Amino acid sequence: MSWLASFDNLGVNLRNLFRPKNTEALPWEAKRERSARYRASFALVHNEHGEEACIGCKMCEKICPSEIITVVPGGRQESEITGKKRGTCKDFILDLNACIVCELCVQVCPEDAILMLKVQEPPGYQREDLVLTMEKLYENEKLGAATWANGTKLIEMQAPPPPPPKKPKPAPEPAAETAPPAAETAPPAAETAPPAAETAPPAKDGAE
Amino acid sequence: MSGHESAPAPASDGVQWTTVGGVRVPVELLSPTLPDPYMDIEDYDPEGDLMVLNMGPQHPSTHGVLRVKLLLDGEICVKATPYLGYLHRGVEKLCEKLSYVQITPIVDKNDYVSPMMNELAINMAFEKLVGADVPRRSRYIRTICAEIQRVGSHLLWLGTFGLDMGGAIGGGGSIFMHTFRERELLLDLFEDLTGCRFHYNTHTVGGNRHDIPAGWAEKAIKVLKVVGDRLNEYEDFVRSNQIFRARTVGVGVIDPALAIDLGISGPVLRASGVDVDLRRDQPYAAYDEIDVNVAIDTGGDCFARYVVRVAEMRESIRIATELLGGVPEGPICSLKPVKLPGAVKAKHGQAIYSAIESPRGELGTFVVGNTERRQSAIPYRCKIRSPSMHVLQLLPYLCPGNNISDIIVALGSLDPIMGEVDR
Amino acid sequence: MTFDNPWVHGLVMGLILGNVSLAITGYSIWFERKFAGRMQNRPGPSVVGPWGLFQPIADVLKLMQKEDIVPREADKTLYNLAPPLTVFCALSALAVVPVAPGWIIADLHIGILFALSMGSLAVFPVWMAGWASNNKYALLGGMRAAAQSISYEIPLLLSATVPIILADSFRITDIVTAQLGGNWFAFWPPGPGIAAFALFFLCSLAEANRIPFDIPEAESELVSGVSTEYTGMKFGLFQLAEYLHTFIISLVATTLFLGGWDGPGDNDGFIWMAIKSLTVFAGIFWIRWSYMRYRADQLMAICWKFFLPLGLALVMFSALWVHAS
Repeated sequence: MSWLASFDNLGVNLRNLFRPKNTEALPWEAKRERSARYRASFALVHNEHGEEACIGCKMCEKICPSEIITVVPGGRQESEITGKKRGTCKDFILDLNACIVCELCVQVCPEDAILMLKVQEPPGYQREDLVLTMEKLYENEKLGAATWANGTKLIEMQAPPPPPPKKPKPAPEPAAETAPPAAETAPPAAETAPPAAETAPPAKDGAE
Repeated sequence: MSGHESAPAPASDGVQWTTVGGVRVPVELLSPTLPDPYMDIEDYDPEGDLMVLNMGPQHPSTHGVLRVKLLLDGEICVKATPYLGYLHRGVEKLCEKLSYVQITPIVDKNDYVSPMMNELAINMAFEKLVGADVPRRSRYIRTICAEIQRVGSHLLWLGTFGLDMGGAIGGGGSIFMHTFRERELLLDLFEDLTGCRFHYNTHTVGGNRHDIPAGWAEKAIKVLKVVGDRLNEYEDFVRSNQIFRARTVGVGVIDPALAIDLGISGPVLRASGVDVDLRRDQPYAAYDEIDVNVAIDTGGDCFARYVVRVAEMRESIRIATELLGGVPEGPICSLKPVKLPGAVKAKHGQAIYSAIESPRGELGTFVVGNTERRQSAIPYRCKIRSPSMHVLQLLPYLCPGNNISDIIVALGSLDPIMGEVDR
Repeated sequence: MTFDNPWVHGLVMGLILGNVSLAITGYSIWFERKFAGRMQNRPGPSVVGPWGLFQPIADVLKLMQKEDIVPREADKTLYNLAPPLTVFCALSALAVVPVAPGWIIADLHIGILFALSMGSLAVFPVWMAGWASNNKYALLGGMRAAAQSISYEIPLLLSATVPIILADSFRITDIVTAQLGGNWFAFWPPGPGIAAFALFFLCSLAEANRIPFDIPEAESELVSGVSTEYTGMKFGLFQLAEYLHTFIISLVATTLFLGGWDGPGDNDGFIWMAIKSLTVFAGIFWIRWSYMRYRADQLMAICWKFFLPLGLALVMFSALWVHAS
């Protein structure tokens, strides 16, 4: 390696001197759009009828690996909007200090009640500022910055497709060479079908 | 073996035991060539010539919280003892309490530089335990993500290697910024795929949780091409530089026999000339459908490890680009999606070991299914075999006879990540 | 500007040049961070004031209001004496450097020797700081610094001897005058001139503990070298001394090899001195942000096995050149 190659370092730095800068100063310069699936904070939402979607089933509390969610169910009550009886949630506490952003609570929610947001929770001066209470979570819904994923979408993405329906035996193709054999096999098939149909009613009578 | 209070080994066993530093070891391991790293109190002589320097858990270049107690003669090291455990978080204990579907986000945080490797390793072990097979599309996604993670991890290694040699305010700082600029592109790719730049929780037992969005494959191919071109710039910066060569050639030479004895794998082993790569030898995920060209170098020194890692980066870019060209259609998960913590249940009492090739070496998981019927959704034991821990065993062998500067460079080239060492 | 009374002259000039140098050194921190930032695709300081111009002022204010911690077992006299002494050694070399015809604090007839010896005195405060801190990292840094500084003085002096021989005087003003008209010693005699300039440049980098020779303050190995245990303004003084030393050596290199205030054609003046020395200064930063550092023993090997014979050869060559012409 010739010693002249050692000047390559200076060249690389000089080249980078004229490239556009790669960083932006938060928060006044933040131009970069987060991706559609970016997840940061949380919100509880209302469903399409306008009632609180959370039914207090505690699935999110059970699945959370960090055990940060505390749900106090309110029991089955009649909804004021639809009149139907549904579960309610009296209190919901999510401790964002210990959240590991794993999205499992979103995935298991049967009502798509808990969602994640694309915006971070603003930093606070005390730990209590980052413990999200029920009011705070419903307020976060109004930010309208929900990420792409909710329970239904995640399940649809992961669920393997249903097995294809059982196809009936394909009818013999009327090809030129196979036509005579097909014609020969067709009458026997037609002959077996009526006997099968004939035997079915007697069997049914026998069963009765 | 350590901490065993049971009866000593029977004499008919033929093995003679002794105690060194509080640990019972067979005498045959203590051959005269193996150094005794433990510094006895007699070694410390305040009036003598030797100085004890604590490269403590807080240090600009110990790659995390690693404490190395050095016994120095001037600037030459005489003995070195690594102390681990400053980042111990009880991950394996947590694994005894959480169900299979909840463990992935916890284990994510072991090797925090290439998190998908942890997820892949542990989910492969769980799938083997449960007996689930993985759909082909999911295997492709897993392999692509693993290779991109490998590129990202080696980019980070290159940046921090520069920091070790040039300091944060110096030439090292420049190459650090440049490699992180490329790593940001890769992290943006993962943000599009999973929603998180780091610690994704995207692998699950039976497949993946997130599917490739439209247009991701083309974008990924473009990004990988950019990274491959910028690699040439980094090589310009580093490979032919006299200073870099003077700092790394001949420094920290590792004998291949010693490496095999200590259970070292990955680029460190391959740089000493041993041709072992789990991707080719025991293919998992989609590695059986492609060829992996394994990079070997016989130098055994820090420069050889640099060469091997850069070659691995290029190879990973090639593999990922090839796989991205033809991702098969299909489902991404063979088991039903998780709706309950107890969604995945394992056979009782069965023990499984499975390993993958992480950027640091063989990352293995040993899982034992629970024997009580009630708790079959929770493993009995999850032991994680971390490659960095085995690599750190080299320190008592590498350090003696070297300057502090050489120790720093050698430690940097071994690429230990304390998160997976201590778990 | 010259006063007849050398005391008055020295005082006025000292005030002007000293303060201007300190101000330039303070803002060199801003320039370095901006330059380094742009080389790394990032803006550098940009928040404090327009384009981050108030950053050095903010840094100084921050350092001044920090608590002054002295380690319990530290040697207090040496510990407290080391930082101002470093600045003193760096600043005193400024006394003999001419920035324009007549603008020199003290035009000693042994000017160049005075400048180099004041720079060499900087070994002592660094050594003192290393010992007095009662910290093994600082001790290692101090020992490395002492070894490095005294070793690199020899090729530094040898390469500085080349313009001395070519100009036939130790007085710096004479050396600059001998280069006026375009025959800068870096380019004439061709070949050895540039070698002498490169040698002087690299040896002064080693004297100032700059990368690639900054083993004494190797941040990745020795946390912060000799200044590990210093807080507040004492730490600030170490940083100031480093940048000041760098600035002074760029001034000295410009006067010795690049013609000082010589401009194209007939227009000489301070502006050319400024341009040239600031270019050398920026070049030092460019090198700092591009290269990694040498190991301590490799550093010594380079000095004794490569720079010293080269310096001797250059001195012989310049003597022969003068004899022949």
